[in-house]
Amino acid sequence: MKTLWAVLLLAACGLAVAGSDGKLRVLEQSRPVAHHLLYLPNGKYLKLATLGNAPLAADLIYLWSIQFYGDYQAEDRYKYVEHIYGNVVTELDPHYFDPYWIGALILSVETHDLEKALALLDKGFANNPDRWIYPYLAGWECSYAKQYDRAVSYFRQAAAVPGAPPDVARLVAGMYQKQGASQMALQEWARLARETKDANVRRIAENRSRAIKTDIDVATLRAAVERYRAARGIRPRGLAQLVAEGFLASIPTTPDGEEYHYDPATGEVSAGPARVITN
Amino acid sequence: MRAILAIAHNTFREAIRDRILYLLLVFALVMIACSRVVSVLTVGDEDKIIKDLGLATIGLFGVLTAIFVGVGLVFKEIERRTIYTIVTKPIHRHQFIVGKYLGLVLTLAVNTAVMTGGYYALLFLRGTATPRLLLAIGMSFVEFLVVTAIAVFFSSFSTPILSGIFTLSAYVLGHLSWSLLLLRDRIGEGFGASLCVWLYRILPNLERFNVKAEVVHGLALPASQLGWSTVYGLAWTSLILVAAALAFTRRDFQ
Repeated sequence: MKTLWAVLLLAACGLAVAGSDGKLRVLEQSRPVAHHLLYLPNGKYLKLATLGNAPLAADLIYLWSIQFYGDYQAEDRYKYVEHIYGNVVTELDPHYFDPYWIGALILSVETHDLEKALALLDKGFANNPDRWIYPYLAGWECSYAKQYDRAVSYFRQAAAVPGAPPDVARLVAGMYQKQGASQMALQEWARLARETKDANVRRIAENRSRAIKTDIDVATLRAAVERYRAARGIRPRGLAQLVAEGFLASIPTTPDGEEYHYDPATGEVSAGPARVITN
Repeated sequence: MRAILAIAHNTFREAIRDRILYLLLVFALVMIACSRVVSVLTVGDEDKIIKDLGLATIGLFGVLTAIFVGVGLVFKEIERRTIYTIVTKPIHRHQFIVGKYLGLVLTLAVNTAVMTGGYYALLFLRGTATPRLLLAIGMSFVEFLVVTAIAVFFSSFSTPILSGIFTLSAYVLGHLSWSLLLLRDRIGEGFGASLCVWLYRILPNLERFNVKAEVVHGLALPASQLGWSTVYGLAWTSLILVAAALAFTRRDFQ
């Protein structure tokens, strides 16, 4: 009889556990997925509880965050991303690269919040001023967002860090080019060609300088030809006529010191017979 | 000196027969091996997680061994009544305490060496073993020396359960003592600030032995910092052992 009562009691307890668990699950599902992230304390305070194992705590929270953000079922999972990476993981371990990188990636790609992504990478660089990778990544984020001025600034920071690969400096000139600031790009490539110690970078910088100078010259000449045609109603017979009649201060030469080719019939200006360069 | 070494030798033999030691050791080795599995879950640097988890495991299980084995050292002698035989021998009580302490330190040294061996075996398999990690393990060992001294101190006049609670509390406070200076900065001048400073001074700052982050991230770690931290640890250990010897000398076993 006692055994029967015990079995019945066990069954009743089991039912109570299963029932309450079901009710609680329904309640939990009605809450936003990320609500509990709000209660994760700032890493500065969490550090106290780790008893000297803050890097390990950072690893574990980072691992958990990877699983959490990798769950594509949860719609609002990207709430509080900057809190998890900016206030918790990177406070626990300020030298841990992955949370800055992945956090910035999530913020820029998934939540489209460039400012928060840059703030996280800025924090990474402030905590690790000897790592060029933080401003480098920030530069690319700005480049994807077509904010080339900011990209230039970040790539400059990255290139200035001792030990940064010589190729990083190329990106400064590259951003000026993307921005359409040809003169600035030319100055940057020329400076790089003079200052770099890397033979490959110097070769690329010299080639780029020549190409941009040619582009600028051709554009200048074509603009002068157009001004002449607008004023006189006909195209000039030669480039010298542009200087003689005050449409151009002087005729530039190609980087090889040769004259630019001009076709009076079509008004085309080119660097050589085989290559018609246009803007 | 011979008396101290004899007690140390016996304590070591006694400790290595203790099941709890093997339990902790096996658990630590399993944890170190598991770090490989955990690291697979990450995106990015797997080696960093393996290194962090391994160093934390060695540190944590070393401290647990020091506490669990250390707090029963003197009590067991009293419980088995072997202390009555020992006190009649021409052995000073401080020699007994120092011998007990050294026996446990030897046990911890063997324990740490086994954990370090397992840890390095895993790192060698991944090709990421670096001798620099030994600096963090070495500093953790200095921390074990201090925690063991605290365990022996409480064990010299209290029961194992109370000694365990006291030592664990001292370990936690030792890792939090640096925050007292933060608190002082927040509350400004006055009695509270002075109290924070005094509490900070009378508690060992166990964070001084924590160089895990510096080692794993390859940050600068001056030899002077390691040297002075070791001196700091040995000074605290000596101070606590003297207090333990005094407390034990005053005990009446009649």
